[in-house]
Amino acid sequence: MSKAKKVIEEAKEINNPEIDLVDKGITNLEEVPGLFNLANITRLSLSHNKIHTVPAALANLMNLEILNLANNHIEELPLSLSSLPKLRILNVSLNRLYSLPRGFGAFPVLEILDLTYNNLNERTLPGNFFMMESLRALYLGDNDFEYLPPEIGNLKNLQILSLRENDLIELPREVGQLTRLRELHLQANRLVVLPPEIGSLDLASNKAVLRLEANFWVPPIEDQLKLGPSHVLDYLRSETYRVLYSRHMSAKPPTPGEVRDKSKKASRAKS
Amino acid sequence: MSLDNMFCTRCGDGFEANEKIVNSNGELWHTNCFVCAQCFRVFPEGIFYEFEGRKYCERDFQVLFAPCCGKCNEFIIGRVIKAMNANWHPACFRCEECNIELADAGFIKHAGRALCHGCNARIKADGLQNYMCHKCHGVIDGEPLRYRGEVYHGYHFTCATCGVELDHTAREVKNRPGYAANDVNNLFCLRCHDKMGIPICGACRRPIEERIVTALGKHWHVEHFVCAKCEKPFHGHRHYEKKGLAYCEQHYHQLFGNLCYVCNQVIAGDVFTALNKAWCVHHFACSVCDAPLSTRSKFYEYDERPACRRCYEKFPVELRKRLRRAHHYTVRRN
Repeated sequence: MSKAKKVIEEAKEINNPEIDLVDKGITNLEEVPGLFNLANITRLSLSHNKIHTVPAALANLMNLEILNLANNHIEELPLSLSSLPKLRILNVSLNRLYSLPRGFGAFPVLEILDLTYNNLNERTLPGNFFMMESLRALYLGDNDFEYLPPEIGNLKNLQILSLRENDLIELPREVGQLTRLRELHLQANRLVVLPPEIGSLDLASNKAVLRLEANFWVPPIEDQLKLGPSHVLDYLRSETYRVLYSRHMSAKPPTPGEVRDKSKKASRAKS
Repeated sequence: MSLDNMFCTRCGDGFEANEKIVNSNGELWHTNCFVCAQCFRVFPEGIFYEFEGRKYCERDFQVLFAPCCGKCNEFIIGRVIKAMNANWHPACFRCEECNIELADAGFIKHAGRALCHGCNARIKADGLQNYMCHKCHGVIDGEPLRYRGEVYHGYHFTCATCGVELDHTAREVKNRPGYAANDVNNLFCLRCHDKMGIPICGACRRPIEERIVTALGKHWHVEHFVCAKCEKPFHGHRHYEKKGLAYCEQHYHQLFGNLCYVCNQVIAGDVFTALNKAWCVHHFACSVCDAPLSTRSKFYEYDERPACRRCYEKFPVELRKRLRRAHHYTVRRN
């Protein structure tokens, strides 16, 4: 804890707007003296600590643009964070979140939201989650989503969407409305088909990323995937696939695969 | 009121008992004095017109004051339509094409004629109005030659260089570098014009006689050199070239991704590119702990973002195992 104190004092002395409190063994933010008085700081990095709860008073740091809480023991976030007027990047990856507070989607200017490696699913997202139109990157990898709400189509500025290693059974057609998307991570889910609308996204350029491996694709998609993601996109645009997709969706086949055993995930640890 | 202090408005004399008195708006007159101010005759049927305090019979009032209709030349009593430098009865002012009344519908002046909106649009669309040569005043069949803002028969002119008789394809040169304005403003045949080396705009294919922008190996009118995305002219601002097209700064970066992943701003200095993304050199940092990474630092890829070695080693063991497996998978694939 004395190490944290030293960092704060040094920052105060030279008026440093960026605070690094990485791996300082912090368990409770209220024990860090003077932290909430640093109203002028723009970045606060608290990765690799043992923080359980985030006090609502953290929202007093009105000038924060980057807040990094990666790899802690956080089970709940305060709603107050979403009122931070300048927060652009929020990293809460590698924590133990089972839900987000109601109204959490109120961030006015959030651009990158990292919720990777938690215990979230479509039922525990707040109702206004997909109202964050300023988002350009949304990381939801290593969570427990089975379906993605169709409201995802609201996030018009989204360029990066990661759903790596969830339990996704299907993807809504509305993903096709994310015209600026250039990174889509879908690897290691339980997907069988993709909505044909994905074919119209600009995901084949050399700057784009489309990750599809380790799903339960129908054979034609799996065959195209062997040739590369751009072949999959070509195939999704074809009339043959349109027919296959509508047939598949009306037949309602059983969902493949099982929910992976996630009991060993660190996010499941009990405090 | 007694007869003694009642006097005629015109002659000022009093009235006899039993004499007929005309009373008009409280003014009194002998019947013989109540006459037109112009012809001194009694008003026919008692109808008079008052103008500036005087009373006139209908005929004199019209002769003196009433406007004449531009069509039927009759006097206009009542509503007057003032249009096309003349006065009209509302029923006489009509479209010269379809004869519809224009008083309330409004009109458009087209080549000296008043037309309703419909006829004006039709005639304009026909585009068949023939030009009149400004020199011989004859009708021009087909395309006219345009010169100093007027239209002419081409055959009134010859090429300033080779002397050949001109037609409508002749080009007027308004200014040339190295010539005073009086020395130019000449007409040239297309052949001579092309040989003069006047640059052609890469967008509109017309000659450029004013400021020239040279870019992408072509010449452009200043207002035709535009961003391929938003089509706004650069007007001397910086442009970015890509695959033979020019873009403004904003759209170049939006389309070709040179916005910094962290600050989302155009990267001013050196660009650091990795994992299909770009960073300002000073913003390139570990995505887990925000520690700056140098161009030589080793980092691990994690959802197409960099993670420093120290952070990677703090990841849960089972996550590292999965990441390693996924990494092997992609390596094998590529």
